[in-house]
Amino acid sequence: MLEHNFKKLKPYFEIIDQLFEIERKLKNISEPNSISRNLNKMKDIFENLLSSSTSAEEGLLYHDPMGEGYNETRLDLEASIAGSSSENLFIKEVIKPIIRYKKGGSTLIARKGVVVVESKI
Amino acid sequence: MENTINIGIDLGTTNSAIAKFVKGDVIVFNNPLDYGRSTLPSVVYYKKDRIVVGNKAKEYLERDPKNVVGLFKRKMGTSESFQIKSINESKTPVDLSAQVIKELKTFVNTGDSLESVVITIPASFDVIQSNATKEAGKQSGFKQVVLLQEPIAASLAYANMKKSKELTDGNWLVYDLGGGTFDVALVRIKDGEMKVIDHEGDNFLGGSDFDRLIVERLIIPKISEEYTFEDLETQMKSASGKYNAKYYSLLNQAEEAKIRLSAVSSAEIIVERMEDEEGNEVDMEIVITKSEFNELIKESIDGTIEMIKTILTRNSLTSNDVQFNLMVGGSTFIPFVRQRVEEVLQIPVNCEIDPTTAVCIGAAYYAATKQRDISANQSENKQNQLTIKASYNKASKEADELFAARIKGLTDGFFYKIVRQDGGFDSGLKNLTERINEDLPLVENTYNFFTLTIYDGENNVIETDIEPIGINSGFGISGQPLPEDICLEVDDYDNPGQTRLFLIFERNSVLPTKRSLTFSINKQILKGSESDRLWINVYEGPQTSLPEANKPIGVIEITGKQVSRDIAKGSDLEITIMISESKDVTVSGYLNMSDQDFKEVFNPKERNTNVTLLKGQVFDLSTKLDVEIELATEKEDYETAGALSKTKKDMEDIEVEVENLSDDDVTDKRYQLEDKKRKVAQAIDSATKNKRLQQATNNYYETKAECEELIDESGNDHERKTFNDIGSQEAAFMATKSPLKIQEKSDEFHGIIGQIRWRTPDFLKALFARLVDDQSKMNDQSQAKSLIDAGNFALESQNWDRLKEINFGLLDLLPKGSKDEITTKIGFGL
Repeated sequence: MLEHNFKKLKPYFEIIDQLFEIERKLKNISEPNSISRNLNKMKDIFENLLSSSTSAEEGLLYHDPMGEGYNETRLDLEASIAGSSSENLFIKEVIKPIIRYKKGGSTLIARKGVVVVESKI
Repeated sequence: MENTINIGIDLGTTNSAIAKFVKGDVIVFNNPLDYGRSTLPSVVYYKKDRIVVGNKAKEYLERDPKNVVGLFKRKMGTSESFQIKSINESKTPVDLSAQVIKELKTFVNTGDSLESVVITIPASFDVIQSNATKEAGKQSGFKQVVLLQEPIAASLAYANMKKSKELTDGNWLVYDLGGGTFDVALVRIKDGEMKVIDHEGDNFLGGSDFDRLIVERLIIPKISEEYTFEDLETQMKSASGKYNAKYYSLLNQAEEAKIRLSAVSSAEIIVERMEDEEGNEVDMEIVITKSEFNELIKESIDGTIEMIKTILTRNSLTSNDVQFNLMVGGSTFIPFVRQRVEEVLQIPVNCEIDPTTAVCIGAAYYAATKQRDISANQSENKQNQLTIKASYNKASKEADELFAARIKGLTDGFFYKIVRQDGGFDSGLKNLTERINEDLPLVENTYNFFTLTIYDGENNVIETDIEPIGINSGFGISGQPLPEDICLEVDDYDNPGQTRLFLIFERNSVLPTKRSLTFSINKQILKGSESDRLWINVYEGPQTSLPEANKPIGVIEITGKQVSRDIAKGSDLEITIMISESKDVTVSGYLNMSDQDFKEVFNPKERNTNVTLLKGQVFDLSTKLDVEIELATEKEDYETAGALSKTKKDMEDIEVEVENLSDDDVTDKRYQLEDKKRKVAQAIDSATKNKRLQQATNNYYETKAECEELIDESGNDHERKTFNDIGSQEAAFMATKSPLKIQEKSDEFHGIIGQIRWRTPDFLKALFARLVDDQSKMNDQSQAKSLIDAGNFALESQNWDRLKEINFGLLDLLPKGSKDEITTKIGFGL
């Protein structure tokens, strides 16, 4: 199913994790230097990482699953379950975002997100 | 059909794996649902309507112990069974092991019929436990199950890796420290027969204990020292504790730090996003050094060493009687484990095999020596053609979509599973009934494909007629596809003075769509200057055509008059192009240096033609036409020359008309001229396309031959593989008849050529000689001289690596002349 060799992209995943951290920290501060422009620029670079001048968009993008629901069918995440119940789980903390490989209209999970989930009740 | 078993399974306490012997080698199958891993956690989770095996089950192990079972291998051969609450049934260790084996069967993607297998067992297993393992194999559908002891399997993996070296008679140890268990065995080989002589183990020691130690003994005390908490450890470890979620987050970081510490001397753990009891935000970077970590696990490792000492004493052996200690299990990656064990016991450790897959690899090697014992009539044909009628929305804006299906045929004892093809969803194994329903979660803004697979009770795939399930999610639903490529005009650095098209959106991309790109500006724009300008030209039409032949849909001109400061050459221009569902094209350019945005929306109904640009294009096109006619005539290609000459008259008319057009002309004239110009350009394009294609193709084959020759002389495996990869795509990109695409492949060959040359002494020598000739042009004469002296020395001593560095240094000293000569018509390019 997943034929791509994502192992060699690992250094990029590490940089993307840092971008995600920066974006998360930026949400809590207001700053006059439009850092978010540079951040978006970097996200764009990753979204076009594997594109060439004669092919469609091909690259990596990340998704922050914070607050989303969780159950055992979600293979895009590696979860640790906190608390005492395992029903009605939602994502309480995101340690690493989900990284997807995108080419044209389709995507593949390139690196699973790492999260801590907890019951809503 | 092959008559040896060939398939080997490592049915581990914590993790399992499956491998196959193929033509002298063993392949370990990857876990199709857990990308990058070949192991499957030996954990089974029963929900009311489904069974989940592996990683997802493991996540629920601690939180839902009434429905999830792990470590059941320890109970193999006992009468104990596990009461499962959700299904109100009890499951034996054999049932659970069978479930793991069935899941492993789904890893095998080679289409093998899975009837015979070798399964490994710990050295400590007695007859009852061994028989129970055999039973699990049978329950999962294997008709012939051969058992093999784990330490022997690891030893076989080692012996087969060392093909040239036969194992000599003697003793060795197999030290297996995994994620949760530890085993050590003394193995003896005598007259070619390998045997486990003695063994010891600890069922509660492994890598996950080390993660816990990092959090409990290092991190928690350090946080408590800096911030105010009352018994942080309990607050973290208790399920109802305030910081329980944080505990798991730290365990995760601890595991990562542990892995990093195998390679580097210190690793950081960042603690943030939590408040202490006085409301202070915790923000700490805790550094863990290798020596701190080693100290932490020393006691556990010493415990394992004691067990080995016991074995040696019991067998009246000394360290000298043991040839080596074979390291198996993921935790033996930790350097301290290897060092400590070797240091204390004075027995050399052997880390030559992959510790995580060694056991299943060994099992497969063993399987290759065992005869299959299945007579043809024993293998029943379980083919049961099922007909499935599926119903679902093919497009959806919801987060998930209901899939329903009706099954015709016998469904009893069958199961089904639905997985999303991007690897993000697995329904788990569910009972098949006449009607099935499943909520399928969708990834936004993309096509979601799912596969429904039907299995029999032994996890053999049952043939059906169902096609992949495709659901389009998000913006694509009402969006129309683009009728033509959308491209940006850029300077063509390979053909100075010319421009080429850069593909932004491919034909048939679904609207709306957006893309951002950054280019380096290749000329400077002085503030206030009217003649310094950049063009952002967006065209609609095939990327392979000449820019002038395509339809302009939007242009932004940025002149010195508009910029708030001087823009230096080499600074960045960020271009964003968005096309809405109704095909409005928004083009924006952002100049990094002046922090200025230039944005315009172009409506497809309103044409946008810039007179200055048009004049420039007409002039260029006319020159181009003359050059092409001349070239064709020179080559005696009268057909092309004739075709081109016919357009010459039109071109001349356009030139006159454009000349008379004022920059602020308000009539339709500019649009008419634009159209005429485009027609001429299209005529030139079609008349010369063959020529450009021919050039690109010739160039491609020449470069390919040169590259092949170099690879044969001094290429490495990686370069040969890249070369072959490009070659294997040849038919496909040649079929596009796109000079650009073919050129791109020639460039890839050039990349390989460059790589090889830079390590070839002849090339390095010749380059050095040329650079020495150019010394007078270099920027820093004294540095150039000292580099040349060093280069001569490197030449004499034949130190090619050094000569390579020196060549790089000298190249850096050359003025960047070549780049200055690039064409700057557009202002940025490729």
